[in-house]
Amino acid sequence: MAVELIERILAAGGKAAQEVEVYLVEGTGISAELKREKVSIATGSRDWGVSIRTIDNGRIGVSATSSPAKWEECLAASLASMRLATPQEWKGLPDPAELRGDAPSFDDRVVPEPPAAQELIAGMLEGAGKHPVAKVTSGSAALSRSRVILANSRGVLYTAERTEVSCSLETICGQSTGSEFDHSAFLGIDPVRVGERAAFLAEYSAKGTVLETGQYDVLLSPLALAQLFGNILVPALSGRNVHAGRSRLAPLLGQKCMDGRIDLYDDPFARGMGATAWDAEGLPAARLDFVKAGALSSFAYDLKTAYRYGAGPTGSAVRGGFSGGPAIGVHNLVLDGPREAVTGDQALYVHDVVGAHTANPVSGDFSVECQNPAWVEGGGFREPVKKAMLSGNLFDALGEIGGIAPGSRVVGNSILPCVRFKGMQVIG
Amino acid sequence: MPPAGIRFFDARRVRASSTHADIDNGIVESAGTSFSDISLVRVLGPKGWGMVSANNLDLSGKGELNRVLAEGLALARLTGDPVELAEPPRGGHRVPAPREDPGTLSLEEKTGVLAGIEKAAKLPGVTSTRATYVERTEEVSYTDSSGYEHAYTITRSGFSVLAVARRNGIAQMGRESLHTIHGFNLRHQEPLGVKAGETALALLDAGLAKGGRMRAVLDPELAGVFAHEAVGHASEGDLVKEGSSVLAGRIGERIGPDTLTIADDPALTEFGFEPVDAEGCRTARTEMVSRGRVNAYLHTRETLAALGNGMAGHGRAEGGDPPLVRMSNTFIETGDATLGEILAECGDGILLVGSRGGQVDPGRGVFQFNAEYGYLIENGEKTRMVRDVSLSGEILSTLHGILLCGNDRVMHQGYCGKGGQSVPVSDGSPHILLSEAVVGGSGTD
Repeated sequence: MAVELIERILAAGGKAAQEVEVYLVEGTGISAELKREKVSIATGSRDWGVSIRTIDNGRIGVSATSSPAKWEECLAASLASMRLATPQEWKGLPDPAELRGDAPSFDDRVVPEPPAAQELIAGMLEGAGKHPVAKVTSGSAALSRSRVILANSRGVLYTAERTEVSCSLETICGQSTGSEFDHSAFLGIDPVRVGERAAFLAEYSAKGTVLETGQYDVLLSPLALAQLFGNILVPALSGRNVHAGRSRLAPLLGQKCMDGRIDLYDDPFARGMGATAWDAEGLPAARLDFVKAGALSSFAYDLKTAYRYGAGPTGSAVRGGFSGGPAIGVHNLVLDGPREAVTGDQALYVHDVVGAHTANPVSGDFSVECQNPAWVEGGGFREPVKKAMLSGNLFDALGEIGGIAPGSRVVGNSILPCVRFKGMQVIG
Repeated sequence: MPPAGIRFFDARRVRASSTHADIDNGIVESAGTSFSDISLVRVLGPKGWGMVSANNLDLSGKGELNRVLAEGLALARLTGDPVELAEPPRGGHRVPAPREDPGTLSLEEKTGVLAGIEKAAKLPGVTSTRATYVERTEEVSYTDSSGYEHAYTITRSGFSVLAVARRNGIAQMGRESLHTIHGFNLRHQEPLGVKAGETALALLDAGLAKGGRMRAVLDPELAGVFAHEAVGHASEGDLVKEGSSVLAGRIGERIGPDTLTIADDPALTEFGFEPVDAEGCRTARTEMVSRGRVNAYLHTRETLAALGNGMAGHGRAEGGDPPLVRMSNTFIETGDATLGEILAECGDGILLVGSRGGQVDPGRGVFQFNAEYGYLIENGEKTRMVRDVSLSGEILSTLHGILLCGNDRVMHQGYCGKGGQSVPVSDGSPHILLSEAVVGGSGTD
């Protein structure tokens, strides 16, 4: 039925525009929410949506609807949007291409039914029980399956099946809070560990001591790093922001922009949440190196931006759902480099940060409150810290790092290690 | 009567059309309209909630309604948390008629007016400008198992304009925005474009603030965010019930000066206005802090039944998501100090202006937010401009440390995220003086 609808849209759209693209998402999911230690809400969801792009003489229009019966209204809105757009250089939507078949985005064992959600909840509560001083305040478990279809008037018709499993838990011990989560396209996340870590963090941080304001080496966990990267670094790598004068990295192509130990790339075939064989406009997905040994080697482009500025498309179009057109983003942003122990000398470990979205994406300056900060030394935790505010500039901090820890973790559309930063301003 | 095993059910359907325009450096990047139709059916079983969320759900036929209720009941049977509901206050407020209905204007006209604001931001030295327009009309219908029904239509719209200035490798930005429920609001707003450009240019010459503990004056926008982040979230009944709020168990306790009253009012016709809440309840003002003491919490029917101390009518939902206890229009009441008196009383410290947003951990009682810029205050006078300054602190000690509330309250609009849902809100306050604030900044002198 979905393919028949797509064919109807392509046929009707083709009468009024040179090119038509249809992006259709349908899926089901189940979630369970904890209040304290009991399930309070169980939700089943059924999603359906379609986004239509129409293109004529370099004018691009877009509209979306969640009603199959409203596809004609949606197509008309897309055409109206197209007529209003500023025309630009346009070399066409992608033609069909051979795709790699190994993007790890689907696990047939993921079934969005109540028993699987109950199992995740039970696992988290078991884990949290290992630190009974910390009390569970809330949590959730969710499983979903979806099918995404991308078709265009040049003959592309790609389908991807996706699954997602996630769980999260929040705890409190006095006025000390802890939270942890995990998510994957595959069964096999460890809810017991999620529960244990959430409870441990609240319990451990409850004994936090006062920190003297000063300059310290700081260890940012993958979670904290993902927050800062998502709000500062990813926008700076967007070709659109580069050419619009909103990226500090703009003049540095081919030059050193980070510590020589850092490689930064987008890997759509890594086992992360953004795994895909094709980008949101139908270009075959491929690894994109942003930074090689500290030198800036590429920015990310969608078709529109690449055509406009004469750059090569990089397959970096992503969508946050059906409601809207594609945008420039990353599939799985990976930071890599030589790994080493980073907890030998004293540093302040930061599990997560509060307020990363308030950073200045143009300058890279940020000031965030640290969650569960703790002194590390001699290879492990030494002492929790009650309160710490971290201020700095992400681009400057990445210029000379103190080391990259072994191991990495999937956090949304990134796969990141723990990184040691030198001499950052910390306010107690 | 609900089917056997179901204590209560309700259904909320939101049919929406969303229009946007995005003009980037003079180019219409995109402009268009999209449509959505999503429903949430909540079923209260023997213990807790089973919910079904779906697009294009037509519950007018009894067969479809019964099928969804059975699905909801099966989900509800998975829950173990006993939920009770307080009696709902009924009745709704009229949605104000728009001064100029955006629905009567063509997309071309809206985009044309927006382009004028974007162009105004392009001052000499400004290297990049961008303006966006958003407009969303929602037709909301609510019905529940008692037979109660309510329906309304509301349009929210507004714009933002961004300017980036660059000099000698330094880039700074200025941003202005204005959103409303009162109709098309872009006309004659070119001065806000100019202001965004002027801010970006001025920040090129601003210094870095030296972080540390100091006296701070918050402007109405940032103080409004403070009221929202630090007090509003901690007053949300679900967080209080979970034990995730520093305000839990403090009803009647003094947490601030006599001059401090903080309220949330979804009936106020500001950007967070709700004619009825997402549970079909009448909306009204709740004073969370009244003359310096914790007075009430914000509630849905469920949290009110569990906790008391307040009223239902603060349940809000984005589209087909479940109602959560949320703020709407949150503000610190006007005091009697003039800005001059506040600066003089501050002596030496910092004035923080505007907001790039904030976040709170209400359980830990810690908040963080970023100002757009600031000024040093020296000997009671506003002096040098500084950039990239933020404020963090502990909710209770910060409230205790409010020394003065100004007489100049202003409301600002924004969106608030919670539980993966984003809803429109407004925050407001007069200028306020804090005796000691943790100010973040990477300057060293």
